[in-house]
Amino acid sequence: MEIGHAAPRSALGADVVTPSRAAVSKPPIDPYAAPPDFGPWRFLHRLNPLSKIAAPLPAMALLLFTRDVMTPLVFCLIALTLLVIGAHLRARSLLLLLVAIPVVVGVMSVSFGIWADPAASADPSVIVEAGPLHLTVGGWLIGLATALRLAAIVLLALVGGLTSTGPDLVRSLVQQLRVPYRLGYTALAAFRFVPRFGHELEVIRQAHRVRGISDGRGPIAWLVRTAGYVVPLLAGAIRHAERVALAMDSRAFGAHRTRTERYSIAFRARDWIFIVVFWAATAVVVVFAS
Amino acid sequence: MTVADPHDAAAAADAHQTRAVRVKSVSIRHEGRDTTTPTEVTFDVDPGEVVLLLGPSGCGKSTLALALNGLVPHAVPAELTGTVTVSGMRTAHETVARLSERVAMVFQDPDSQMVTGTLLDEVAFGPENLLLDRAEVLSRAEESLRQVGLWERRGDNPDTLSGGGRQRLAIACALAMKAPVLVLDEPTANLDPAGIDEVYAVLRTLVVGGDHAIVLVEHNLDAAIELVDRVIVLDRNGRLAIQGPTRHVLVDRVDELMRLGVWLPVALLAALRLLEAGIRLDPLPLTPHELTVALDAQDALPAPVATGAVDETGATGVARTPPATEPAVRVTALDLDRGRTRILNGIDVTIEHGSFVAIVGTNGAGKTTLLQAIAGVIRAPAGRIDVLGLDPAKADAHTLARTVGFVFQNPEHQFIKSTVAEELAHGPRLQGIPADEVEARVSAMLERFDLQELRDEHPFLLSGGQKRRLSVGTALIDGAPLLALDEPTFGQDRARASELLTLLDGLNAQGTTVLVVTHDLQLVAEHSSHILVLDSGRVAAFGPTASVLASDALDEAGLRRPPLARAFRELERHPSWRSVTRLRDLPWGPTS
Repeated sequence: MEIGHAAPRSALGADVVTPSRAAVSKPPIDPYAAPPDFGPWRFLHRLNPLSKIAAPLPAMALLLFTRDVMTPLVFCLIALTLLVIGAHLRARSLLLLLVAIPVVVGVMSVSFGIWADPAASADPSVIVEAGPLHLTVGGWLIGLATALRLAAIVLLALVGGLTSTGPDLVRSLVQQLRVPYRLGYTALAAFRFVPRFGHELEVIRQAHRVRGISDGRGPIAWLVRTAGYVVPLLAGAIRHAERVALAMDSRAFGAHRTRTERYSIAFRARDWIFIVVFWAATAVVVVFAS
Repeated sequence: MTVADPHDAAAAADAHQTRAVRVKSVSIRHEGRDTTTPTEVTFDVDPGEVVLLLGPSGCGKSTLALALNGLVPHAVPAELTGTVTVSGMRTAHETVARLSERVAMVFQDPDSQMVTGTLLDEVAFGPENLLLDRAEVLSRAEESLRQVGLWERRGDNPDTLSGGGRQRLAIACALAMKAPVLVLDEPTANLDPAGIDEVYAVLRTLVVGGDHAIVLVEHNLDAAIELVDRVIVLDRNGRLAIQGPTRHVLVDRVDELMRLGVWLPVALLAALRLLEAGIRLDPLPLTPHELTVALDAQDALPAPVATGAVDETGATGVARTPPATEPAVRVTALDLDRGRTRILNGIDVTIEHGSFVAIVGTNGAGKTTLLQAIAGVIRAPAGRIDVLGLDPAKADAHTLARTVGFVFQNPEHQFIKSTVAEELAHGPRLQGIPADEVEARVSAMLERFDLQELRDEHPFLLSGGQKRRLSVGTALIDGAPLLALDEPTFGQDRARASELLTLLDGLNAQGTTVLVVTHDLQLVAEHSSHILVLDSGRVAAFGPTASVLASDALDEAGLRRPPLARAFRELERHPSWRSVTRLRDLPWGPTS
């Protein structure tokens, strides 16, 4: 086979641009060495994507019903600690987690706090007053609790979200949860549609602007405009989806009940440990906070 | 190409063994249609043979291609009569999935063939579906990616490849199926010239390898023809018109092909034109290279027609001397950024009234951005662009619509109304024109673009060519003397592309200034009066078509010369012919 490889490559000659330079300068990527591994400290990457969903799920559900400040705050800190220690993050994601989220929580606590029912709040002393708007201590605390609950839920979701890839999630759904692969891999193929439609929508908006349809202001004009984008976008989407389906069929998609998984995503003891420890921690937080 | 007698069982069995593809009396009727295309088509393909399917638009070539791996009738709602057999397997009796081991497909649009996130996953997708074991999947993936020269990029996202790269990937995916038959349906229609070259370089190695029977549907004969053993031609109704060895069909039955509306290789068209002028090339050339050789074999040639005379002064000069009349478009020192990237850099261009300017360049050279800035689709810095006395960066939409008409690549994107007439009336109504005047304009436009019958039809239900004509109509109805078109021929077959260009020629002859961004350099050569070559956001050359084609500007900007210009430039014995780039530069009719 080696000889067979050499011949066609040399025959391609200079006509075909082979980016050998890129291959030399970049460390060779080994895509079938399954999920990226960043060492034992970045343990989140070594866990099955499903365990990273299962572990924080009870906590996320509980957060929907808490009213205090302490519980969501503790979960925020737990999730942040896990991510900072256990995940390989780029500087931008790290900045987002450590700076942007606290700032957003601060802003939201004030804006929610202003609209909180003053009768329900414990402490009616006013912090700031601007015209008809009052921010009371009690109101602010309610706002803070709400903001923290939202932040905690988002951060808990990011524990799995920032450390697993879409294909891995699909693989483990198929391998562990026995989700039919036709469903999983079709969903995966559909991910590729998203940027394409984004681009197509942008072009359609441009085209409609050229036709002079963007003159009106206000919500009704917006609605009319948006409705106008639907038909061309849908027509393009259906045609594209049909073509993708034909291409997948031609490559034997759905030929058998299962398909070869090039690597298996294991569900190991460490996944169980992660889930159990997380659930135990959740219980402890709930007991102590209340 | 004798067909085995169906009554002779032994012969039939033998044919089943040796034929890669057998198509017998196949007719296909799409759901909701009355007519069948193709109709009663019969042909065979042998192992290792390369067959080209030709025919005018709408004759059912692509449908026939889809029938070869069972997508018709299994996945596409259509009724198939007759039999298609691949490697002894009746397509009607098998699933598309099982047939995929016999017939692999490559489609027109590379984007719609990508399913996964990396090149390696993409190539492995087919073999994985076939439940092959892991080692076999990997070895097939590596072999296929190496065959198309993409193994080094196996970890990359397919989106990071060029159009040509993605289509090579699609070919690798087909090769990984290890099917003895490979069907390619217009594999280069969505590619720029560089991409077309890449794909044909790969196909050439496959043909040399001889492991596959290849069925090719392709309009771009200039690139394809040298690889093809046999040609099958369908007529307008989808019936088999001609089949036979490539040279035999193209050379001996060229009159029939012309009557059928089949696109011919430009080298052959040139030779036929020369024949009328009394210059006999023997054998008739099919490729640009053959044309060069045949012409050099001639001892003496008359002088080419004077229209091709080269105006050396304007060839690569950026600043042209200002013309006496007021120009249609004047761009001065235009810089344009998108985000942090500079797209256009110091553009200085003056376009005269009534010119037909083709804007060419490699992907990312800034062609579309420049066109959109001139037409006011995107806002350029104020004071840099002057279109007939108007600054598109400051003009309101209504004034702009009266000055420049813009036609997007996909006509559907521009349609906003539910009938053809409403679509045309929209622009004039926005201008506040009285109803009877609007009606008069709409009727005139419908007639001009041959759309009267379709007045109350929904724009989305028109055919591709009709949609294109309607989009040009809506761009012109406000009376714009300047028409800007962004890649109007992209993804279309040659017949439809040529129909549009003829339309533009007509408008141009009546005084409309036409600006068009395009990849198709042969069309550029035949139709445009001027070429503007962009390279990395700068003007690399601007001047009359013949001068730019004769200069080195295209090569320097990373573009390939159109096939005819390439053929004549290589001439050794006839230096005066080297600047010929267009068919109309050739002598025509009997020479005295």
